[in-house]
Amino acid sequence: METAQQLDKPALGTNDAARDKAINEQATMTQDTPYPDQTVGKPFVDDPKMRLRDVEVFYDDNQAIHGVSLDIGKNEVVSLIGPSGCGKSTFLRCLNRMNDTIDICKVKGSLHLESQDLYDPKLDVVELRARVGMVFQKPNPFPKSIYDNVAYGPRIHGLANKKYDLDEIVETSLRKAGLWEEVKDRLHAPGTGLSGGQQQRLCIARTIAVSPEVVLMDEPCSALDPIATAKIEELISELSESYTIAIVTHSMQQAARVSHRTAYFHLGRLVEMNDTETVFTKPEHDLTEAYITGRFG
Amino acid sequence: MSETTEKVRKTLARRYRAEKRFKAFGIGSIGIGLMALVLLFTDIIGKGHSAFVEYEIQLPITFDAEVLDVSDPRDEDELNYGNYQGVIRDALAERFPTVEGRQDTRALNQLVSTGAGYALRDMLREEPTLLGETRTLWLLADDDVDLFLKANEEQREDSRLNEKQQAWVAELETSGETRMVFNQSLFSYGDSREPEQAGILGAILGSLFTMIVTLVLSFPVGVAAAVYLEEFAPKNKFTDFIEVNINNLAAVPSIIFGLLGLAVIIGLFGLPRSVPLVGGIVLTLMTLPTVIISSRAAIKAVPPSIRQAAMGLGASKMQVVLHHVLPLALPGMLTGAIIGMAQALGETAPLLMIGMVAFIVDLPAGPLDAATVLPVQIYLWADSPEQSFESLASAAIMVLLAFLITMNTLAVILRKRLERRW
Amino acid sequence: MDRMHFGEHSSTQFNEALESIRNHLMEMGGLVEKQVVDALQALLQADSALAEKVIETEKKVDNLEILIDEQCTRVLALRQPAASDLRLIIAVSKAVSDLERIGDESAKIARMGLQLAEEGESPRGYVEVRHIGNHVRNMLRDALDAFARFDAQKALTVAAEDNEVDMEYASAMRSLVTFMMEDPRSITRVLNIIWSLRALERIGDHARNIGEQVIYLVEGKDVRHISIDEIEKKLKE
Repeated sequence: METAQQLDKPALGTNDAARDKAINEQATMTQDTPYPDQTVGKPFVDDPKMRLRDVEVFYDDNQAIHGVSLDIGKNEVVSLIGPSGCGKSTFLRCLNRMNDTIDICKVKGSLHLESQDLYDPKLDVVELRARVGMVFQKPNPFPKSIYDNVAYGPRIHGLANKKYDLDEIVETSLRKAGLWEEVKDRLHAPGTGLSGGQQQRLCIARTIAVSPEVVLMDEPCSALDPIATAKIEELISELSESYTIAIVTHSMQQAARVSHRTAYFHLGRLVEMNDTETVFTKPEHDLTEAYITGRFG
Repeated sequence: MSETTEKVRKTLARRYRAEKRFKAFGIGSIGIGLMALVLLFTDIIGKGHSAFVEYEIQLPITFDAEVLDVSDPRDEDELNYGNYQGVIRDALAERFPTVEGRQDTRALNQLVSTGAGYALRDMLREEPTLLGETRTLWLLADDDVDLFLKANEEQREDSRLNEKQQAWVAELETSGETRMVFNQSLFSYGDSREPEQAGILGAILGSLFTMIVTLVLSFPVGVAAAVYLEEFAPKNKFTDFIEVNINNLAAVPSIIFGLLGLAVIIGLFGLPRSVPLVGGIVLTLMTLPTVIISSRAAIKAVPPSIRQAAMGLGASKMQVVLHHVLPLALPGMLTGAIIGMAQALGETAPLLMIGMVAFIVDLPAGPLDAATVLPVQIYLWADSPEQSFESLASAAIMVLLAFLITMNTLAVILRKRLERRW
Repeated sequence: MDRMHFGEHSSTQFNEALESIRNHLMEMGGLVEKQVVDALQALLQADSALAEKVIETEKKVDNLEILIDEQCTRVLALRQPAASDLRLIIAVSKAVSDLERIGDESAKIARMGLQLAEEGESPRGYVEVRHIGNHVRNMLRDALDAFARFDAQKALTVAAEDNEVDMEYASAMRSLVTFMMEDPRSITRVLNIIWSLRALERIGDHARNIGEQVIYLVEGKDVRHISIDEIEKKLKE
């Protein structure tokens, strides 16, 4: 009501009482947030890399995700945004079955990576995670050398038989992650000795060393300073040429900068998924609008 | 603003007083603890330091073949049955020619330890040409003589030596025919009825074998149990039950483990009594909860982000544990194990139950030889009537404490050395 | 339908900044509207005092333009507005420059009024001025109303009205040109009136621009440089 009072001051030079009234009505009108029952926008694409339909996630009896359906296209960067606890991270973790580690977590629905059913009981998660890599919120290099960090994935999957091959994988991965020039002289120094941004790029290098098809990123920049963040964002754009990327972020500007399409989650539901430009200039759903413009809380 | 300052100022003095009281209380507590420690150490060191040295008496010994009844020193049998006491007796009689009568002669002969004869035998074995020759030698004094020489004027009045003996010893002392040397027998002999010949090597070896058995059994079992419970076991009522019981086990009085060892390991499986193997098994039961609990804590301290990273790369559960969790948790586990070992090292009660309290002179050669351990040896000596055993017990306590401090220091160093930042 | 709501931002300061921009825009709109009305009156009634006043108001309008632009820049820099907030800032900053131009045009009319008043009254052409002037005044008023209410439908009518104004302007031109040919002595005076009509027509165009900004603000659709029919089609999508 405070704002209404401010508006009561008549605008100079206009005596149009009706107009003032209109302004007041606008300003004080409270927005009812209608419950999202169907996703608006363009959640589906032709020939998707990942095809996810009616995904539901339960923690014991609590349903965390309600019937989310969306596609992730080839070489597309999709960002998932939404307020805390909206289920975006939970959803992301379904995509390489990281939720398997939580006993009480149950996933329903149809999730496909191309023709492969992710939750096929015959599918080995180890194989899946080699195809769908993940980068985490906090940079988490192993307390080993930079070289060993990157070489770990190829080693456990037996991707390189000779030392020479492994060296090559390490170098190309670090190059792709834009870290090679900075660390090439100290490959055997501990990875934990790098700066936060470098550590995160090391984690990205480690992830792409196993040549995944999809890279999932769970708030990859939330622990980094703006310059390191900018470097990672730059990297994401470059990586999208060869990988499909799904990124969860709390920074709307980041979603706006890096992604092709943006999905807005609210209370475990996918409210809207649209081209990023549309979401940030003219979102279709009121809830998206309210979140994008910071009208929550 | 100024009103607030006023109010704050009023309470300030009270707050500072409370802070000072609290500090004083803390310093007081630490002071009491330190005082207890200082008392303990001064008492033990005061009593025990004299056991690290012993007195010897100088005597010219003639290796007379007739008296010794040894014709060929290379013959082991003859050597073993030689009358070495006779040689010593002759030497003493020569040194104090005025002593006469059976009683006085016996009193004179008591000045030298009965163990001195063995020293002569060993010497002869080493150097057979000694036979028939005379040498001036330092011989181990009897424990009563030893005590007398170590005592001051006042204490000498309470000596168990009679007046004549005291006079002889005093004569030897003034003429410089006595000397103080490092007590080698303490670290090179097993237990003995004669305090001057008693050593703790047997007990140290017994403790060592017991500890090896305990470590070999408890560390792998404890770590395996901890890894399974922490990483693989499903979280349900059953595992909760196990967890509670492990914690309870840590609180069970140690003598219960002794009873269990007696009933099951000796009674049921028929293993021999008094051996370090059984002692080690019993102590394993006792240390396991400590090892499991500390290992689980160490595993829990490994940041989940490392696990997630490895899993995200497609590592299997086993690979995650072997490549990442165990290396990171190892320092913590080792520390826990060492602290558990230190506990076990100081344990007496369960070992009493399985018969490791026997009087054993021979040094144990392996975990299947009858042996005793340091704390039990201390218990045995503290219980003995001879006065000299009191200082021996204190010396053994000092040795035990030295071991414990070493182990704890090792735990700290290991932790510092192996701990990696992440 | 209407999603333009304020006062729910989690940041009160952001709210206040947006409110302030809106209020200043309305204030500026009011000023400019009054300028147009006064300029017309000064011209028609040869009221040189009123004309002077209109020219003086120009300064105020310019200051408001600078102020609003500053506020918009600040919000862009500090808040990185998105969606409706972003559209509001963009629409306001464009509308502000249109309003300023309207102010310029009305000052121009007022100056013509001054000249005409010096040269003496002549009723020829005033009918057209009055007619088109009323039309344009209504357009401006409707455009500002639409802005205040976030009313895209009303904004659409402004655009439609602009077409009428353009047609009327063309016919007025024709008749004034005929008049000049009939009476060459009046050419200077009639030219002044033609300049005034031209200014009014420009005001109508600016009002239409403001209406288009309102449509962008409310619907998020760019409707510049297309015909009314196409706008309607786009809005129905």
